[in-house]
Amino acid sequence: MDEQKRAQFKKVLREIKNLPTLPGIVAKLAKMAENPDTTTEQMGRLISKDHILASKLLKLVNSAFYGFPQRISSLNSAIILLGFNVIKSLIISASIFDVMEEQDVELWEHSLGCAVVSNVLARHLGVKDPEEISTAGLIHDLGKVAIKMELPKEYAMITELSQEKKISRLEAEREILGLDHAEVGSWLAKSWNLPNKLVEPIACHHDPQLAKEERVASAIVHFANIMIRGLGYGHAGDIWVPPLNNKAWKLLDLAPADIDPLLHEIEEKLWDVKGFSLDVQSVPEEAA
Amino acid sequence: MQRIMLAQAGPGMILAKEILNPEGMVLCGAGTSLTPGLIERLAGFEIFDVTVEGHPVNIEGEKTLREELQEIDLRFQRVEDIAPLMYLKKRIQARLVASRSLEAVTK
Repeated sequence: MDEQKRAQFKKVLREIKNLPTLPGIVAKLAKMAENPDTTTEQMGRLISKDHILASKLLKLVNSAFYGFPQRISSLNSAIILLGFNVIKSLIISASIFDVMEEQDVELWEHSLGCAVVSNVLARHLGVKDPEEISTAGLIHDLGKVAIKMELPKEYAMITELSQEKKISRLEAEREILGLDHAEVGSWLAKSWNLPNKLVEPIACHHDPQLAKEERVASAIVHFANIMIRGLGYGHAGDIWVPPLNNKAWKLLDLAPADIDPLLHEIEEKLWDVKGFSLDVQSVPEEAA
Repeated sequence: MQRIMLAQAGPGMILAKEILNPEGMVLCGAGTSLTPGLIERLAGFEIFDVTVEGHPVNIEGEKTLREELQEIDLRFQRVEDIAPLMYLKKRIQARLVASRSLEAVTK
């Protein structure tokens, strides 16, 4: 790989001109969160000013991949239950996935599915803040969207190479760009000041052994990506189930007897999110 | 279980999942056997799809069980040397076979 070319791709991807910029509201919320006197009501009020964003957030929060037993009807309770980090990443996801849903429905489905599986695994393992891990699952392929938007020509070349040589999309990205979607996604997440709990699983979802602080979260998203591909839900660019990292597998400490109950729960939840869309104004098509 | 449009629902089919109205209130519980009157009422509530037990409706273009099993084989083709993933594949296939075999029972 030509170092110069790699640097050039890196520059383009880091500048991200075509992806929606982070809504101004996130910066405002971040400022509010720094102030210990800020109340949940104040944050809720700020988000409510953007009606569409507010309804998207509630829709996401109430969808099967967060798995709250009761319906959350107000932004205030959503903020209390999910915490500021999750709300922030949800606002980001809502903006990113607007683009993604339009551009690549199958990748969107894959992402939703990965969020569902991440949530089920996180709850099974009893980790703290399973919502954050679901969110990491939801945005783990962020880098793919960025590559598609910023480098459409190379994106097409990657698709072609992957089909021609029958190699995974990841390998094709590395060959053509000298970098991959996991790396790109982690730059983006970092540039948006997302917490490490989201950045590391995005960066390491193919190489969870590289995770330094968020080992469990990275292992969960790694295995969630494998499971959702195994189930054939959505499409992430190539059909193959990626290899399982042994270290991550040991960390998850799953027994064969765990697999069936997990699959059962995942299938139930996937059933519920099928056709989930963030488009708050859309009317079900079946109605026509 | 199968998700079908309400227009495809027929009497005797059994709800596999409860039906909720847009506010999240339960209109009809899982396990309910559909009747013509009930289907009509659900249409009145603007319910468009329902999830029923088994696989009672043949949807055109839908993959057969054999095709789906083959696709699973293909997806796992590159990880055949990784034991936990081969177990995962076996379970995914077994669950698919079990869910489809219900078709015969309900038909």
